[in-house]
Amino acid sequence: MPKVAIVKRELSKTVATVAKVLVILLGLLIAIALTSIITGASMELAGITLLQGFLNLNVFVYISTLLPIAVGLSIAFSASAWNLGAEGQLVIGAVGATFIALYTPFGRQEVVAPLMALLFASFLGALWALPAALLKMARGINEALTTLLMNFIAYHMTNYLVKGPWRGRAVYGYPTTDMIPVQARIPTVPGYSFSWYVVVICVVIALLMQLFLYRTKVGIALRALGSSPRFVELAGISSKRLFLIAFLLSGALAGFAGGVKVLVYHGKLVEGPIVGSGYGFTAIMLSWLGGLNPLLLIPASYYTAALYILSFGLQIGSAAVGDALANAIVGSLLAFILLADFLTKYRLVIRWS
Amino acid sequence: MIRPFLQVVQLYKKFGDITALNNVSLAIYPGEILVILGENGSGKSTLAKILYGLYFPDKGYIKINGTPVIFSSPAEAKSKGIFLVSQRPQLIDDMSILENIALFLSTSPSRGLRKKLSEILNYLGMAIDVDKSVHALSYTEKQLVDLVKVLLAQPKLLIVDEAVTYLPRELKHKFLNIVKGFATRGGSVMYITHKVVEAAEIGDRFAVLRRGSVVGVFEKGVDVSTLRQAMFGSEEYLTAITKSPVQRPLHKTPALSVENLVVFDEYGKPAVNDVSLSVRLGDVVAILGIAGNGQKELGEAIVGLRKVAKGKVLLNGDEITHMPASERVRRGLIYVPEDPFREGVAIGLTVAENMKLFSQSRVSKEILETAIRKLEVSPSNPLISVAKLSGGNIQKVSLSRLLLNTPRVVIAYSPTRMLDEKSRVLILRTLQKLAESGSAVLLLSEDIEEAVYISTRIGVIVNGKIVKFFEGPELESYREDIEKVMVHA
Ligand SMILES: Nc1ncnc2c1ncn2[C@@H]1O[C@H](COP(=O)(O)OP(=O)(O)OP(=O)(O)O)[C@@H](O)[C@H]1O
Ligand SMILES: [Mg+2]
Repeated sequence: MPKVAIVKRELSKTVATVAKVLVILLGLLIAIALTSIITGASMELAGITLLQGFLNLNVFVYISTLLPIAVGLSIAFSASAWNLGAEGQLVIGAVGATFIALYTPFGRQEVVAPLMALLFASFLGALWALPAALLKMARGINEALTTLLMNFIAYHMTNYLVKGPWRGRAVYGYPTTDMIPVQARIPTVPGYSFSWYVVVICVVIALLMQLFLYRTKVGIALRALGSSPRFVELAGISSKRLFLIAFLLSGALAGFAGGVKVLVYHGKLVEGPIVGSGYGFTAIMLSWLGGLNPLLLIPASYYTAALYILSFGLQIGSAAVGDALANAIVGSLLAFILLADFLTKYRLVIRWS
Repeated sequence: MIRPFLQVVQLYKKFGDITALNNVSLAIYPGEILVILGENGSGKSTLAKILYGLYFPDKGYIKINGTPVIFSSPAEAKSKGIFLVSQRPQLIDDMSILENIALFLSTSPSRGLRKKLSEILNYLGMAIDVDKSVHALSYTEKQLVDLVKVLLAQPKLLIVDEAVTYLPRELKHKFLNIVKGFATRGGSVMYITHKVVEAAEIGDRFAVLRRGSVVGVFEKGVDVSTLRQAMFGSEEYLTAITKSPVQRPLHKTPALSVENLVVFDEYGKPAVNDVSLSVRLGDVVAILGIAGNGQKELGEAIVGLRKVAKGKVLLNGDEITHMPASERVRRGLIYVPEDPFREGVAIGLTVAENMKLFSQSRVSKEILETAIRKLEVSPSNPLISVAKLSGGNIQKVSLSRLLLNTPRVVIAYSPTRMLDEKSRVLILRTLQKLAESGSAVLLLSEDIEEAVYISTRIGVIVNGKIVKFFEGPELESYREDIEKVMVHA
C-alpha cells in the first residue's frame, strides 16, 4: 500500500497572499480559455462576458444560495465535520418550504409565510444532516460517505413527491407542484429572480457566523476542534457536542438556501436535481476558496457567481444543456483553483512500502 | 588560525514588529561544540532555522568555508551538510519510525537502512521497534527518533535545538558522547539548551542571546553564574524555590485515586499495568520514569483521553473511569499535556482565544493580562497567534490553564519542558502554591530534579508498573536510589 503524507510548506505570509491572488487571477484566465474552447466563442468575447458577469445583477441569484451554504460548510469544515451532504440538505429544505407554503394555513399569511417557510426549511435541513452526525458519533461511521448518500435519497424523495402526491393540478403533467401562494413568495427585484431581502439576510448570516466563530467560546472551540479534538476536550468542552453543533448548523444553512430557492427562484417545488442544481457541491469548493472564513466568503461567493454567469452567458442558444455545463465549468475551475492553492501551501509525499 | 566552518554575518530577522534577531554575528569552527543560551523567546530557534534554510534573513548572510551562501530551503542546507534537530519533533505521525527515517534520508526503507538503524539503536541501548508508528511514541521518544535520523545523515554541522535536553540521563550521555566524538572528527555542533550547568560541561564556547542580540561569547571554563547573568541579567530567580514545609494534607480522603488501573497502548499491549495511587488535597505526588514507560498512557487514562481496560479512577470519591475528558475537566481535573504544540494549545488561535477556552468561567481582559504577565509570555500581545510564539512561550500558554482556573486536581506532564530556568522555577513554584492552597497535584515527569524539588511522594514507573514509592521530607537524599530504580528496576 502506498502511503501518502501531506507536508506543510513554510511560506511567509506575503508570499502566501501573493500566491493566492495569483491563483485566483489565473483561475479567471483559465475560465476564459476554457469557455472559449467549449463554446467556440473567441477569447475576447469570453473575457468581456466574464467582466460583464462581475457587473451583472444576476450574481445575486447565485450569492443568495451559495453564500449561506458555504458559510455553514465553513463552520463544519473548520471543525473537521465532513458534511458533503449540503446538496441533499438544500433539497430537503426546499421540500420543507414548499410544505409550509402549500399545505399549511401559514401559507397564505403575508410575512409569516416566508418566515415560517425559511425556518422550517432550515429545521429540515438540520434534521437531514442529523443521522450522519449520530452515526459518526455512535459508531464512528464516516460522515462524508453517509452525507453523500443522503444527497441521493433527498433527490429521490423529492422526485417522488413532485411526480406523485404533491404533483400540481395546474401543471399539465409536469413533475412539479403548483405555484406557491403569492403571500409566501419573497418579492424579487423587477426583472430579476433575486430578492434584496434575501441578499441582506445572507450577508447578515455571514457576519453573524463570523462573530460566532471568532467571538464566542463555542465558536472558538469549533475552530480548534479541527486541528485537535484532544485540545478541546482538555479545555473542558465536549468535542462530540461541538461536532454536532457544527453539523446541524451547516445542515440548517443549506436547508435555508433550499427555502430561498423555492420562495424566490422557482416559486414551486421541482425535481430534486433541479432544485439542488449542484449548488451544494459547488459550495463545498467555495467554502475552501474563502478559506473557511465567513467574511471572506462574501467576496468569494461573488467571484464564483461571476463564473456562473460567464458559463451561462456563453451558453445562450443551448438552453437544453441547462445548469449542467455551467456547473461542470464552475466546478472544475474551483477545483483547479483549490488544487493550485493547496500546492502552494503543502506538498505531497508518497511512499511505496 | 583555523578557518571557521560557518560564519553568520550581521543577521537581522523581524516578524512583523518583533525583532527576533538583531545584528547577530557568530562563527562556528570545525570540531567545536558551540552552545547557544538565552531565555525563552531570545531568538535561538530563529537562528537555527535560518541556518537550516527554513527562514530567510531580512539582512545579513551566511558564509560556509568563506563562501557566502543563501539557503532558500532545507534541501540546500542539507546539501552543504547542515542538519537541524528541531525543538518540536519533525516526524510524520502516520508513518513508522523506519519510514520516517527513510523519507528524511530520501532512500527507501530497505534492509540496509534497517540494519544501520538497529546498530545505532543498539549502541544507544534503545529497545525500540522501528516498525512502530510514530503516533504511539511519547514526545521524548519522538525527539530521540529525530536525533537518530539526523545522525544517520552524517552532518558537517549538527544543530540541536533542545532535542537532547530532556533525554533520559544515560541516553543523553551516550548522545553527548556521539556528539563529542563527532566534533573530534572535525564536525561542528551548535547546541541549544536551557540546562546551563550541563551546557557548561560539554560546550567549547558559549554564545548568549538576549532579545535577539548576542550579549556575550564565552570560552570554555566560564562559570555558570556568569552565563546566567548574561542570559537573565541576574540569578535571583534561583532562590525563589525552596522546599515548602511538609504540611498535613487537608483531607483524609484522596481527591484523586486510581485503583488497579490497566491501560493498553496502540498495539494492544498493557502500557499501564495494575497501577494504584492516590493524591490528597494539598499534596504533590510525582510519578517518575524514563520516557516510554507508561506515564503518557497513565496520564491520558486518568484525564479520559484513553480507554481504561480495567480498574477505576475516582475524583473526589466519585467514579469517573469512563467519563469523557471534557466532563472531568469541568469537574476540576486540569490536565497539562505532554505535547504543547498538539494538545496543549490550539496553534492557529490567538493567545487570548486559547486562554478563553481554558477558563471554565468568563475571562475579563484584566484576568487575561494578569495571566500573561505572571507567566511572562512574550510577546505579551494577547491578540497574537500562538503559532508566532517561541517554544517555551507556547508551553507557557498551555500552562496558563493553571492560573485561569481553581483546580481541584492538577495533572501535569513534563510541565517545564522547553522553559528557561527562570520560568521553570516559576512553574514549579506555581504547582507548589496550588497544592498549598488546597489542590491535589500529580506530576508526571521524566526529570528527577523537578520531582524531588516539589513533591512529597515519588512513585517510580517502569514498564507500566509503579515499582516503588519514595516518601518523606528528605526526598533529595534518595536521588540516587530513585535513579537506580528508574533505570534498573
Ligand atoms: N513564525 C514566527 N512569526 C512571528 N514571530 C515569530 C515567529 N517565530 C518566532 N517569532 C518570534 O521571534 C522571537 C524569537 O523566537 P525563537 O523561537 O527564536 O525563540 P527561542 O529563543 O527559540 O525561544 P524558546 O527558548 O522559547 O524556544 C520570539 O519573540 C517569537 O515570538
Ligand atoms: Mg526555541
